[in-house]
Amino acid sequence: MATPLLPSDDELIPKLLANDETSYAQVVAAYHGLMVQLARAIVGEAIADEVAQETWVAVLRALPKFERRSSLKTWILRIVSNTAKSRIRHESRTISLDESLEESPIVDPARFKPNAHWVSPPAMWHADTPDALLASTELHSCINNALHTLPPLQCATITLRDMQGLSMEAICKILEVSESNGRVLLHRARSRIQMAIEEHEKQ
Amino acid sequence: MMPSCKDITEHSSDYLDRNLPWWKRPGYWLHLAMCVHCRRYVEQLKLTIATIGKSPNAVPPSISTDEMQTIVEKMKQSTKK
Repeated sequence: MATPLLPSDDELIPKLLANDETSYAQVVAAYHGLMVQLARAIVGEAIADEVAQETWVAVLRALPKFERRSSLKTWILRIVSNTAKSRIRHESRTISLDESLEESPIVDPARFKPNAHWVSPPAMWHADTPDALLASTELHSCINNALHTLPPLQCATITLRDMQGLSMEAICKILEVSESNGRVLLHRARSRIQMAIEEHEKQ
Repeated sequence: MMPSCKDITEHSSDYLDRNLPWWKRPGYWLHLAMCVHCRRYVEQLKLTIATIGKSPNAVPPSISTDEMQTIVEKMKQSTKK
């Protein structure tokens, strides 16, 4: 992602605390898109913009207490994540956020023999590069659908890791999950997308 | 101990992210060297990850000047309260 050039956190934070309008604009230009993207992953498209806008006010309110244990970016994204999770809980949605303990297998157990080796191994795909895969409109929408049906924290993890390249350490801070749960969320999300591509390739 | 094919699928992200514990690596490598199906599975996961990163979904939405002004205005208002 091309992030507009931002001053360092050391320069930026005092200016934000001093209510400097130019710094507000700089930080919004740099992070708002990413905040909407993360909010979409957790609460869905409909209220993601609202959540991201709400977060900015929360960021300014909490900034005097920011202890600098992470970067400003990580801290802001953590507030987005918490705001989005609160919205889910507040709206009493049936979506469970406690998905990290989900025990369903990564690959359908029927694809393995009793000795845990393949009985139904993966078949070849028609394409072997991302561009070639994405060239198919159908496959592109299949990936899109799979992403949209991921549970919120899985979708947030794959968005931050595989789309935005954040470190697992930062992602676990943002989503407030342990490192091991973060890795489980990431692997489950990736596997679901892989399975969606595989299903499409079979047709 | 040599991992099974199921073990390979369960730890393939850790393998690709170089996060597999050192003591699991030799068995994992050996299994991949011997099993064409698991090599394909891991290669397809690698391709999946690269595809996710290149998909149009990976690009964060852009912010319009109007939207930016609205947000900055809200931020200013919030500090006056």
